[in-house]
Amino acid sequence: MAGATSAEARLSGADHARQRRRKRRRAEFLRHLLLAVITFILVAPFYYVFLASLKNSTAIFSYPPSLLPLPLYLGNYEALLWNTGFLRWMFNTLFVAASVTFIKVFMDSMAGYALAKIEMTGKKVIFLAMLILLMVPIGALIVPLWSLVSALGLTDTYLALILPPLANPLGAILMRQFILGLPRDLDNAARLDGLNDFAIYWRIVLPLIKPGLVVLAVIIFTDQFMSFIWPLIATTSDDLQLLTVGVAALRAHGGANYGLWSASAVMSLIPISIFFFVLQRQFLARSLAGALKQ
Amino acid sequence: MTGAVPSRLRLAPFEHRRLARKARLRRELTGWLFLAPYFVCFLVFLVLPVLGTVWWSTRSGSLFSGTKFIGLRNFLELPDVVSAWSSIENTLIFALISVPPILVGALGIALLLAQIRHGGSIYRFLVYFPVLVPGVVAALIWLFLTNVDFGLFNEVIHLFGGKPVIWLGADHALTVLAVLDVWRNVGYWAMFFVAAIIGLPHELYQAAVLDGASAFARFRHLTLPLLRRILFFAVIVSTIWGLQVFDTALVLTNGGPGTATTTVIYRVWLYVFASNNKVGFASAISLVLILAILGLTLVQMRLLRSRRGQD
Amino acid sequence: MGENRAYAIELVEVAKRYGETAVLSGVDLAIEPGEFVALLGPSGCGKSTLLKLIAGLEEMSGGEIYIGGRLANYLHPSARNVAMVFQNYALYPHMTVRANLGFPLRTSGIARAELRAKVEAAASLLQLTEQLDRYPDELSGGQRQRVALGRAIVREPLAFLMDEPLSNLDALLRVEMRSELVRLHKRVGRTTIYVTHDQVEAMTMANRIVVMHRGVIQQVGTPSEVYSLPANIFVATFVGSPPMNLLSGRLETAGGERVFRGALDLALGRLAPASLPDGPVTVGIRPEHVQLVDPATGIGRRVQVELVERVGPDSYLLAQFGDGRPLTIRVDAASPIREGDGIAIRLPQEHLRLFDAAGNRVTKEIS
Repeated sequence: MAGATSAEARLSGADHARQRRRKRRRAEFLRHLLLAVITFILVAPFYYVFLASLKNSTAIFSYPPSLLPLPLYLGNYEALLWNTGFLRWMFNTLFVAASVTFIKVFMDSMAGYALAKIEMTGKKVIFLAMLILLMVPIGALIVPLWSLVSALGLTDTYLALILPPLANPLGAILMRQFILGLPRDLDNAARLDGLNDFAIYWRIVLPLIKPGLVVLAVIIFTDQFMSFIWPLIATTSDDLQLLTVGVAALRAHGGANYGLWSASAVMSLIPISIFFFVLQRQFLARSLAGALKQ
Repeated sequence: MTGAVPSRLRLAPFEHRRLARKARLRRELTGWLFLAPYFVCFLVFLVLPVLGTVWWSTRSGSLFSGTKFIGLRNFLELPDVVSAWSSIENTLIFALISVPPILVGALGIALLLAQIRHGGSIYRFLVYFPVLVPGVVAALIWLFLTNVDFGLFNEVIHLFGGKPVIWLGADHALTVLAVLDVWRNVGYWAMFFVAAIIGLPHELYQAAVLDGASAFARFRHLTLPLLRRILFFAVIVSTIWGLQVFDTALVLTNGGPGTATTTVIYRVWLYVFASNNKVGFASAISLVLILAILGLTLVQMRLLRSRRGQD
Repeated sequence: MGENRAYAIELVEVAKRYGETAVLSGVDLAIEPGEFVALLGPSGCGKSTLLKLIAGLEEMSGGEIYIGGRLANYLHPSARNVAMVFQNYALYPHMTVRANLGFPLRTSGIARAELRAKVEAAASLLQLTEQLDRYPDELSGGQRQRVALGRAIVREPLAFLMDEPLSNLDALLRVEMRSELVRLHKRVGRTTIYVTHDQVEAMTMANRIVVMHRGVIQQVGTPSEVYSLPANIFVATFVGSPPMNLLSGRLETAGGERVFRGALDLALGRLAPASLPDGPVTVGIRPEHVQLVDPATGIGRRVQVELVERVGPDSYLLAQFGDGRPLTIRVDAASPIREGDGIAIRLPQEHLRLFDAAGNRVTKEIS
């Protein structure tokens, strides 16, 4: 055996390396191929709807469909922006989402600080309750929430949309994790230096958990942007409709106005796309690190 | 050492107790001040409504014009009411057929993404994008895809010479709804798994390669066991999310055809805001849903805690 | 009792409990101004907890702490006039070295010019002047430690509390910083309480050592007291490396003389006072005090050398003794004794330490 293959053995060193490199490149190519196919499948529907939004109704129904938006038809967008409350809905959604985000960033970080760093009786029980109720969705609580909100006289107000989402425990739990991850004894050092608890929170903790705050803000904002069932029943007047509810109403009004619907779909995606694109790098890396800390 | 030694403390014990109590109260007060804003919201808008659901579930009547107490009758009648029971069935089937593909797909994508060298961030952005789409918008998009006349699906089928399929008909509606959910959520879990895979100890894989393990063997005997905890977590959380499906069902199919895609929350909403006199019954169903979710949460907490030592 | 006012820090019956477990019990300690006191003990003995109690970072379960003569139990940490150097330095990562050093003073509201002067003085004392505008993550471990030290120095407190400040440094740096700390203490002269588990650190740096074990003070004394006159078996074996040799046996009276009977028989003479009855005892002797005698003379006990450990200038002979624990004997590195050799040893009475059945050292009878 040794004699027969000695010639091959002499060459195989360099050959093996080359073979391995070729195999690796092939594997890499295959991976890219698979990923390209998968992402295409995931993303193609958007382009399809984008196309439809720029066609008039006859063009939509025609076969074969054109792959480019020609001739360009902006009537759907005009109808959407001028004839429906779309802009108002967009404003409402952004306003509510921003309000909830702003309030929760501070409220949850303060709660997280207390849970992480301050000795209190009953702290463990409260934290446990938060963990247990973490996954209970607002959709399962619409009956009591509605009666509560109407008892408080808040139906059809922005408050009705802003208040219930504040109760979600995810924010405080996440903040607690981040704060626990800060260097040890930092708050002790600050205490010795004369800071009271609020000053420690404001001047030491908050600046140091900024990445966590960004993660929190992104999670809360996107969650609020997409929420549907509670806004559906909490507000009935047209002025206060949120984006999701308004778009669903477009669909419910019957008549298959596909052009309008597709335009509404595209326009709905603009704010979140901008937001996401800007924060893309931080968001993907950090939000998962934070979630994994559990 | 013995109790006979007199104490050399300058202050009397009762004085110490008083001062210690004052200091402790002051510290607890600060803690409560920090926690209070969130805690109030938590109590009023989460705990109270959960308890409220229990209360409402023992009543019968309408949300707008009053109810009366009827004890546990709502629960006893539950299995017999077809509309309620079928909504539970639909939801369970939905979860059953949507969760596995989501996680398997996510794992596959994650494995690819974790090993790729260039262009990872573009793929991540595109894969994650459907996650950010609000349910109603996603459903609208799928209305286009599934439209019998000009929908993308049927056009592709037409390209291959097949007959157009009524995607949103009674046979396929729930499945289509499930596939929609897969399309929306696979990106989220893919990112989750990618982070987990990247965090796995690299040396184990190097050792496995030296031992001559194939890629598949490495996956089966190394990756899967190491990801066990994360996979459990993903199964439970994605199931819990699956149980909540509503907005897509509403916009895509209006719960239909008939009640084929009426899910639990959809049914609750109908009872309360459409038919106007079944608020107690609706709360009973909501309570069942809440208990199911709590049950799953507790299972997950127990599993995660018990395995802590093994990592 | 009136001397309270002269002490820098005084602890009276200090206790700390977590639920049912007592972490500290009955701690009494009086620290003179300007002293360097080491709290020495194994991990879990409560020394760090004690430090935190003095600083006010944790609540006491009992007892009183006086700082500068004032009752400090219920004072806020920043009102106690002490400064602490933490094991992990606890520097503010988002502030420069200058800001870190000046931070403790900012909250006390002194003039900006004076603050700046103090910061620069501390920085030059610790050779940090070039790092003043850098951030903690740009510094080396030793530099970070000095910043932590500087932060304590600028406050000019009544006492420094140091919680194992050198344990995160590598061995070489640790030795260097050790002598710097001693030098600093000689220069600045402030009362210092220094927590460590490293007995070499305690022995070389401290004026007095407080040996602790399981929340109880075992002994308080100067390094030489703690070394040569350990109060109990724990101190005897914890301080000094290699540890003191211990032989267990019985104290007996034979013909009016007190003798120790064990693996070796020893005459104890005055070591065993009349108040100590016959019974089980332990005798200890340090490795450097075991005498080698010429086997030819016939005096002394013959043993066989099992192992020779060479540690530089000295070597340690391990000789098996019959009841299990080998005897450690220090010899000069040049000694020709090898493993397997037979030697004769003698344990001189003046270097013996006698411990009673409870493990406490018995003090010699003074005639």
